[in-house]
Amino acid sequence: MSSALIITAFSFFFLLSFSAFLFIFIILRRMVIRFQEKYYGRVYRLIEKEVLDVISSTEPDRPLQVAYKYRSHPAVLTKVLLDYGDLLLGQAKKRLTIIFNHVLKDKCLKGLSSRRTIKRLKSARLFIIFFEPAESDYLFKLLNDKPSVKLTAITALSRIPNLATLHFVFKAFEQDNGSAVTSYFNIMFGIGNRIELLVKLYLKKPLPPEKLALLIELVGAIPLRSLYEDITVFADHPDKEVRIRVARALGKLLIPDSVNILVALASDEAWEVKAQALTSLGKLGNRATLDILTKSLFSPYWYVRYNAGYGLANMGEEGINRLKDIAAQKQDRYASDMSHMVLGDLIYLEEAA
Amino acid sequence: MTEVLHSLFHVASIIILIYFFFINAFYFLFTILSLSGIFHYRNLVRFVSFKDVFRLPLVKPVSVIVPAYNEEKAIIESVNSLLSLEYPLFEVIVVNDGSTDRTLEKLINFFHLEKTKRVFRKVVHHKPVKGIYTSPSYPKLVVVDKVNGKKADANNAGLNISRYPLFCAVDSDSILEKEALLKMVRPFLEDPEKTVAAGGIIRLSNGCTFNSGQVAQVKMPRNFLARFQLIEYFRAFLGGRIGMSMLKSLMIISGAFGLFRKDIALLCGGYRTGTLGEDIDLVVRIRKYLHEKKIPFDIRFIPDPICWTEVPETLGTLARQRNRWHKGLIDTLLHNLSMLFNPRYGVTGLLAMPFYFIFEMLGPLIEVTGYVIFVLCLIFRQLNHPFAILFFLVAVILGTLLSLLAILIEEYSTHRYPRLQDILIISLYSLLENFIYRQWLALVRVKAFWDYFRGKKEWGAMEKKGFAEAR
Repeated sequence: MSSALIITAFSFFFLLSFSAFLFIFIILRRMVIRFQEKYYGRVYRLIEKEVLDVISSTEPDRPLQVAYKYRSHPAVLTKVLLDYGDLLLGQAKKRLTIIFNHVLKDKCLKGLSSRRTIKRLKSARLFIIFFEPAESDYLFKLLNDKPSVKLTAITALSRIPNLATLHFVFKAFEQDNGSAVTSYFNIMFGIGNRIELLVKLYLKKPLPPEKLALLIELVGAIPLRSLYEDITVFADHPDKEVRIRVARALGKLLIPDSVNILVALASDEAWEVKAQALTSLGKLGNRATLDILTKSLFSPYWYVRYNAGYGLANMGEEGINRLKDIAAQKQDRYASDMSHMVLGDLIYLEEAA
Repeated sequence: MTEVLHSLFHVASIIILIYFFFINAFYFLFTILSLSGIFHYRNLVRFVSFKDVFRLPLVKPVSVIVPAYNEEKAIIESVNSLLSLEYPLFEVIVVNDGSTDRTLEKLINFFHLEKTKRVFRKVVHHKPVKGIYTSPSYPKLVVVDKVNGKKADANNAGLNISRYPLFCAVDSDSILEKEALLKMVRPFLEDPEKTVAAGGIIRLSNGCTFNSGQVAQVKMPRNFLARFQLIEYFRAFLGGRIGMSMLKSLMIISGAFGLFRKDIALLCGGYRTGTLGEDIDLVVRIRKYLHEKKIPFDIRFIPDPICWTEVPETLGTLARQRNRWHKGLIDTLLHNLSMLFNPRYGVTGLLAMPFYFIFEMLGPLIEVTGYVIFVLCLIFRQLNHPFAILFFLVAVILGTLLSLLAILIEEYSTHRYPRLQDILIISLYSLLENFIYRQWLALVRVKAFWDYFRGKKEWGAMEKKGFAEAR
């Protein structure tokens, strides 16, 4: 036998055994999963029934009884608590916390410092539901962890919006870069107007334009009306993205005094800023800006015409009359077409209503 | 003479053996990477609640663009599925690309559409638009009727008419799962600057039943050709694209389901008309443009947003589809040949392009050459019978092993075929596909070379059954 033949034969038998092993593994794994699903499903339903009973019962010992009865099934108990813990508040949640404290808390705290990311993540997910504000130190430790764990920790911290935890979120926002920044933005947005003071403070810091833009966006999105003056100072910021966000935020804050700033932004050198300012002017509905919106419908930029058209539509009858006039004129076909489209959409909206 | 023949066959065999070794090494590398990638992704989605993230103001709105040509059988079901997507803000733009059947009529009647005077920016070129239709009852839906210009042209019209910064290209014979768009947009939220495109997974709708635009029951296709394709899709999407995405060298985002940043697609000139592989072509041109401009970017493959699509069930239709796909691949690779082995294009030029060129494009030619050499060796009595038989068995087992690994990845990921019987059938077909089916496909793809260089670029008719309603 040649060496090539021996190598091929060896390869064949090796690959054949590997394939057979893999096939058997897939089948056995499927069977085990099916069995586990059935078994865990049965245990889950039992625990779920008792947990629901604990929530509605007034017996003080009932949570402890359930905790001890099912301490040999920590995985399923964890699943039930994860499923119900987030949905409940007040007394009902306190009763579930008793079960958590007696069966899972020690494991959970151990899990938070596990080497395995998944274990830390799983423990963090459970811990954030049942932890007390006094225990937030455990979560602070996770802020230096991998992004997924860190995000979970920050989400938890945002649930206790005291000054210390909020500072952590903002500090992380200032220090980190990349994808995490967007996550922090989302968390800050979730906290709502309780972050007002911190936003004010960070708007004064020398942040890079992309972070500054996010903070300005936040002012409009929540909305934080008292920070109106803090964001208008950025209306002449050299970065185009920051000016766009100012224009957008002003359209959400709807403060009548912002008309002049928006009018100035509507004549910005960048068409993107102009377009955004026109949308916000339309939302403000100040009749003094009808001429600017009308003039902008003749802009060479499609988006400027588009936003001006819908801006006029937001102005009520007078805006609609202007649109009709522009639709009827023949000098500028682009402005006429845009007006026709906006008027057509208005008819649809009325029909749909 | 015999000596010369012997040497000739010997050299050819060695070249084919080296090729065989490298192609399988690459496939194994991608599959193993995919396996580790799927573990990571599975754990991530299990413990991180993405829904919280999506309730946020930074989620970018999406325009779903659906080019449709003679799709009267499936179009209503497909559009209904798209309109029922869970996503904060989106629009569905169906582009009727000059259908000769009742596609437009069905859309107008079902969705109560009326012609509007909508205006749009013509940034990329396309054939004239005959009318734009909207409906007060379905404000998210826009139907564009245009002169036939093929899929890329229809996509370009959709791109011009779309209003939102992200667009999702979806085939008109496909159905997206309700949360598919939410899952797909995740990388755009995590890294909005770098992420320029993302692809989702394509699954076979053959055999499945549907209800209200959603999959009611996942079942194995009954047709044997569809079953072979099921394995192929497992290998391509689960075994290949996750691994390629991990190596930052993903070059194909299926035209049936892909999410792109509109500004980048427009900067690259939109879809290239005249090519049959408009999906791979767009991704390659995006990569080329961003490498040339030295802009850091990421193109991701997300393994759980699912798009259900109908695959051909007859040999003729399947041959036409694969012929078209291969012509599209040849066209794109030859059109961007300057990227091949060019360090200027980073991982695209040094890994992705060479892989697709040598193994995906030339693969069928080399495979068929191997069969021809086998027959010649047989005729000229130059065949080492025990070696030939063993080598063929090794090839079969390797193919089966790769399929089994893809099945394992499926088991760890979406796990859509829950019956044990389904896994047994899929495993059996992963063995059977190595006989005749694989060789036939290689011949079909070799014919694509012939057709391509003869300038035959027609699309080819596709027979569709539509989606079966759940009872």
